[in-house]
Amino acid sequence: MSTSTVPGNLQPAKQGPSSDGFGSRVLRRVLTDRVTLLAILIVALLVAFSALSAADRLNAPFNVSYLSTSLMSLVPVALLALAQMFVIMSGRSGIDLSVGGMVSLAAMLFGWLVGPQQWPVITAVVITLIAAMLMGLLNGYLVSYLGFPPLIATLASSYVFGSMAMLANDRAPFADERIAATNALTRRIELFGDVAVPAHVFTVLLPCILIAWLALAKSRWGKSLYAVGTNDVAAKYATQPVKATRASAYVAAGLLSGVAAIVNVAQFASARPDAGTAGNGMALPAITIAVLGGVAIAGGLGRVGGTALAALLITWLNAAILISFQGSMGPRVQLLALGLVLLGAVLLNSYANRRYGLAE
Amino acid sequence: MTSDSAGRTSSNLEPMLRATDVAKRYGGVRALRGVDFEIRAGEVHGLVGENGAGKSTLIKVLAGAETPDTGTVTVDGKTLRLGDTQASLAAGISTVYQEPHLFGELTVAENIFVGRELTTRGRVRWAEQREQVAQLLEQIGLDPNLARRNVADLPVGEQQLISIAKAFATEVKILILDEPSAILADRDIDTLFEVVRRMRASGVGVIYISHRLDELGQITDRITVMRDGSVVTTRPTHELNPRKIAELMVGHELERLSVERKTVSEEVVLDIHGLAAGKSMKDVSLQLRKGEILGVYGLIGSGTSDLARAMFGIVPSTAGEIKVNGTTAVLRSPADAAAAGFAMVPGNRKSEGVFLNKSLAFNISASHLRYFSKAGLAFDAKRERATTLELMKKLRVKAPAPETRIGALSGGNQQKVVMARQLVESPSVLILEEPTQGVDVGAKDEIHRLVLELAAEGTSSVVISTDLEEIRTLSDRIIVLHQGRVGHEFPGDTSTAALLAAASGATDVDADADRAIPAPRITEGES
Amino acid sequence: MSTVTQEKAPRPVPRLRRTPIIEGQEAVLIAVLVIVGVLLAVFTDTFMTSANIQTVLYTVAPIAIIGVGMTAVMVTAGIDVSVGSQMAIAMVVVGKLLRDTDLGWFPALVVAVVVGSILGIINGLLIVVGRIHPMIITFGTLNVYRYVALQIFGDQQVSGVPDDLGFIGGSVQAVTFGIPNALLLAMALMVIMWAYMRQWAGGRHLYAIGGDPGAARLTGIQVNRKLISVYVLIGVLVGIASLVQVGSGGLIQQNVGIGLELQVIAACVIGGTSVLGGRGTVFGTLLGALLVGTVSSAVTHLGWPNELTNLFVGIFIIVAVGIDLVRQKRRTKL
Repeated sequence: MSTSTVPGNLQPAKQGPSSDGFGSRVLRRVLTDRVTLLAILIVALLVAFSALSAADRLNAPFNVSYLSTSLMSLVPVALLALAQMFVIMSGRSGIDLSVGGMVSLAAMLFGWLVGPQQWPVITAVVITLIAAMLMGLLNGYLVSYLGFPPLIATLASSYVFGSMAMLANDRAPFADERIAATNALTRRIELFGDVAVPAHVFTVLLPCILIAWLALAKSRWGKSLYAVGTNDVAAKYATQPVKATRASAYVAAGLLSGVAAIVNVAQFASARPDAGTAGNGMALPAITIAVLGGVAIAGGLGRVGGTALAALLITWLNAAILISFQGSMGPRVQLLALGLVLLGAVLLNSYANRRYGLAE
Repeated sequence: MTSDSAGRTSSNLEPMLRATDVAKRYGGVRALRGVDFEIRAGEVHGLVGENGAGKSTLIKVLAGAETPDTGTVTVDGKTLRLGDTQASLAAGISTVYQEPHLFGELTVAENIFVGRELTTRGRVRWAEQREQVAQLLEQIGLDPNLARRNVADLPVGEQQLISIAKAFATEVKILILDEPSAILADRDIDTLFEVVRRMRASGVGVIYISHRLDELGQITDRITVMRDGSVVTTRPTHELNPRKIAELMVGHELERLSVERKTVSEEVVLDIHGLAAGKSMKDVSLQLRKGEILGVYGLIGSGTSDLARAMFGIVPSTAGEIKVNGTTAVLRSPADAAAAGFAMVPGNRKSEGVFLNKSLAFNISASHLRYFSKAGLAFDAKRERATTLELMKKLRVKAPAPETRIGALSGGNQQKVVMARQLVESPSVLILEEPTQGVDVGAKDEIHRLVLELAAEGTSSVVISTDLEEIRTLSDRIIVLHQGRVGHEFPGDTSTAALLAAASGATDVDADADRAIPAPRITEGES
Repeated sequence: MSTVTQEKAPRPVPRLRRTPIIEGQEAVLIAVLVIVGVLLAVFTDTFMTSANIQTVLYTVAPIAIIGVGMTAVMVTAGIDVSVGSQMAIAMVVVGKLLRDTDLGWFPALVVAVVVGSILGIINGLLIVVGRIHPMIITFGTLNVYRYVALQIFGDQQVSGVPDDLGFIGGSVQAVTFGIPNALLLAMALMVIMWAYMRQWAGGRHLYAIGGDPGAARLTGIQVNRKLISVYVLIGVLVGIASLVQVGSGGLIQQNVGIGLELQVIAACVIGGTSVLGGRGTVFGTLLGALLVGTVSSAVTHLGWPNELTNLFVGIFIIVAVGIDLVRQKRRTKL
């Protein structure tokens, strides 16, 4: 490896197999720039299902109104995908299986503070977010300072957080008028006609995406995270605080899980102990979206734009599936789609990397 | 040197292995452009070329690790099935790669037999394997008790010798050594040479790849020079010398290295007293003056690498004191060290130096994120780009743009970028560990010139290298570490022999006494 | 030259004993199991009954059986998180066949093994061809396989499955020398695998692949074939474990196997297998599974909420891996 594959003098990979022709340049763009690919896929999805809808082949109309309503489920999914993005990018097989557990436990804490404790909502929000960051810090400490494999550390902590959430109120949710009142956060805003977008898309999700983008693409911390995720030994020699930076990615994931927990409580007007772990849990869809968004499992590669678009694609794909099948078939096909999309996305990443030599 | 002549006589002019018209492309890069290559029984055949010349691809083809696009390989007249490691092994081609490819959790005995265990119906015959390995180790001068130990518990130098023993254990006809000396200290190299000569004497054809051109004169019979995926020439060793080889590799005349330098000032920049750190450094004191280049030489385990890492805050020191410009520095992390004025080019470029899939700009700014930030928070990409362009120019980095991925550059250019990173905030002490390891001759020259220029501008450097020629080229003064202590201090123009003797622990070494013994030269008389 | 040999020769090397059969972590686990057992015997009068012990051992059996395969997979630095969905497919297929045809236990075994190996081959091929981390691939197939299982279920659970496989089920009759047949089966599989991984060249190669796959390839080990084979192995073992789960028949629910992968991985990790590859024994995995089973039963018998089991398992994982990390660190220091 040391000598052979490196061209004698620099022939950037650009001039490799695809130096000629418009078609191959487009192909290269699509394969290497995930944002472009996702944009194309979203447009394709919209066109295809609008056509199906026009031909009256769906159980409900696939229109702007339906799409904007379905953004309700985009928020938690996108927040947790961003959480996974930070963690996976931090390298050394980074992954966070505990986001579901953190959402459950943070939701119960928030519900307890707002409900039985009667705290002001703002204070409860702050305390919940701090607590969620501490949960993330536990993961980060185990992984970064003690050297636990991320898969194992977050598997263990998801057990711990999940069961603590269950034990918090003896398996029962917290629900009262004060908690129900938080539902206002997720009320729909009428934009025009019958198009109504959930308020927290604007008040929670977009600010979070913006902050995540600033942190990753425009800040010193983001550069440090890229360096640590790409090659932590080299990052150490490059004077980066490797352990603190990697741990901070897990703290960021905790914070985003906390936000998702509050959104979840508001959306359901009650704090449920299985908020993040019901069904197949929230970790897997989040990982899928991050990978689809172009985050490399090896670490060091990933962009906020890609992750956000991938979340949108999956949300609308799920919405489309839901009105394409009857009864329990819908959720079932969603499972299939999630699995196939994940496999397709990683195989595509792997192929693009090999073809254009993006990774080693 | 008796084994030399023995080897020579057993040499047979009919080639044992012949590769014809071997070509291989990686994407758009032609790594091999129709190469013809042959090796005879009982010869040591040097294979040299700059990085990217195609040496590694060629040996990977011979070892079956790569399938060429065209071409044939015959061993003893029989055509070899290409792209099949098993077929190559069966044909008697054995390869020792640069980094020891061993399995840490398996024992030495298991490692030597892995892939071809002695088995009865699949079950391993442990006792027999261990017995054979113990004999083998004894034969090449290693402790036979090593057979039972887990490889992860052995030092790297020993692991390298184990991987050569591993090749020796097979019915080997052709042994490929890919830069075997790169991570060995000079004295382990003597053991290596002895093993190689024994193998030649027993009729094995040895392909010896090395960047250390002086070594080739000592050990090889013929040398093949490659450039840009083609063979430039194959000639008997006695017709060549290091300078000539280097010129054939680069394709043009090399200029002699000369840089105008003022005499070193008296101002002490770095003062280390009684420093102990890591496993092997016990007690090291040294002083470095402004604009001075201090060479540090020592065998593996003598404490040189701990010294570098203690100075850069990677390994905590357990005793002693480090003073930079008169103030005591407490170095708990590389960030502390950088704040104190240190910068370091680490020894292993690939694992410690570069961020392979990131841009040149990223690679240069990585150590200076605060420096490139506004209010310590927002990253200033414009300034990063400007600085990168400036340094690319200064260091003659051959790359299209600051956005180019560093992985697309040659090893030498990558190393220059790692050097460039250290210069952004003008350090007072530059620590260079193996600054030109695995770098082609041209880039090596340029890096040396840069270090000398920096010294002329007043930057002090500590050069830690196992390449004696490098140390002697660069250093104003040389200290030799032995068993974690400073064994001797020499002026820069000390003979190789004196340095070697001091490194192996001789007590009364006089820098001048054996200057009569010349540094290894490639001459006909040598063989 | 003589100086070289002089320095090299007299390095003292500690004579090593034969590798002990029980290693550090395993001894600790046995001790913990004994302590928990004694405490439960003292503080409850329902735990130390043979019926209860048999129930615990029977519940442990499927996890131990799949754990044998998971250990092999993890030793190669891989992981398979799709085992729960694989089990759902195998169970629904076997259950439906037992109910709707006059199948008999041996054909059922064949069917389960064939189904398991097909699912394993798919995982193995995707991992090898795609060159992608096994965790991600099997996360994908976890969903796809669950979909397949749900399709086969149709819209309802499978009920009225006959007890053709009762002899490895959880009933009081399916016991030999006081030990459930299912666990005896698990132990037999374990002994075979233990011998293979310890004594056979092919088994040692698994450790080599986990240590350094590139180097393993260069020594001529057929790495890809070997990797596919461990995923097939775990598929086959999932098939066998699903026979144990079907056991005396009755009802098979649609959510069967959800979360199974976490229990199996927990058993392996608590037993000392490293997810980074190259290290682990099936014996440790059995002990890990027993510990998880015992704690789960203990929580029930002490009248504590069931969720405490997961809390304990989480803490056990952290402690077990933590101890291992400390030991590794000390080893590199020496």
